[in-house]
Amino acid sequence: MDFQPLPHAFPFRFADGVIERTGPAQGRVRATVTADAAAVRENGFPAAALAELVAQSALLLEGGDAALGRKGFLAGISDFKVERLPVPGDVLTVDVAIAGRLGDAVKFEGVVTDGEGGAVARGAVTVKKGLA
Amino acid sequence: MPDDLKKRVKELIVRQLKLEMDPATIADEAPLFGDADGGLGLDSIDALELVLGVEKEFGIKVQDEEVGVKAFASVNALCDFVREKAA
Repeated sequence: MDFQPLPHAFPFRFADGVIERTGPAQGRVRATVTADAAAVRENGFPAAALAELVAQSALLLEGGDAALGRKGFLAGISDFKVERLPVPGDVLTVDVAIAGRLGDAVKFEGVVTDGEGGAVARGAVTVKKGLA
Repeated sequence: MPDDLKKRVKELIVRQLKLEMDPATIADEAPLFGDADGGLGLDSIDALELVLGVEKEFGIKVQDEEVGVKAFASVNALCDFVREKAA
């Protein structure tokens, strides 16, 4: 599959685009950490933004045309563990799989790794489709 | 035994939703969702968490429409739903 980058960058989006779809609402997303993204916190990419990154990845894989704009929002975080904060230049991979769905609320499990396969973060996020 | 099921359901609600309350204080007929007096005031995100918990705890599958109508209206309704699905 050809990689199709999204038209937005930080602070609007952390996820670059979908690398691979492996099933319904399941697949792999790429995210490049820019200096701007890392600069919002002295020590690097903010930990909370990793949960947002997983949510954005989940919504990309959930479907819809990313170029048309917002498709949902992060509504919940659970059992989210950050191993290390990314730094500028890191190219992250986000593997996302659906855990459950009820109406417009969807829960995903996400695993964020770096270019060498090292653990960055993992946990569950709940997204709500549509506008807040 | 019905009382055991109610106890189990109430404990599941508190555990799954990380509520800071004694499960025994949840009234059997109190509405789980919405802002009604005496209810828990759960929202749609809580509903999803509760569905996932019920599916895991009781090994049953919950469909969207079942939740929206009455299955998750109260502890009693949820117990009836679990009994029906498990039968």
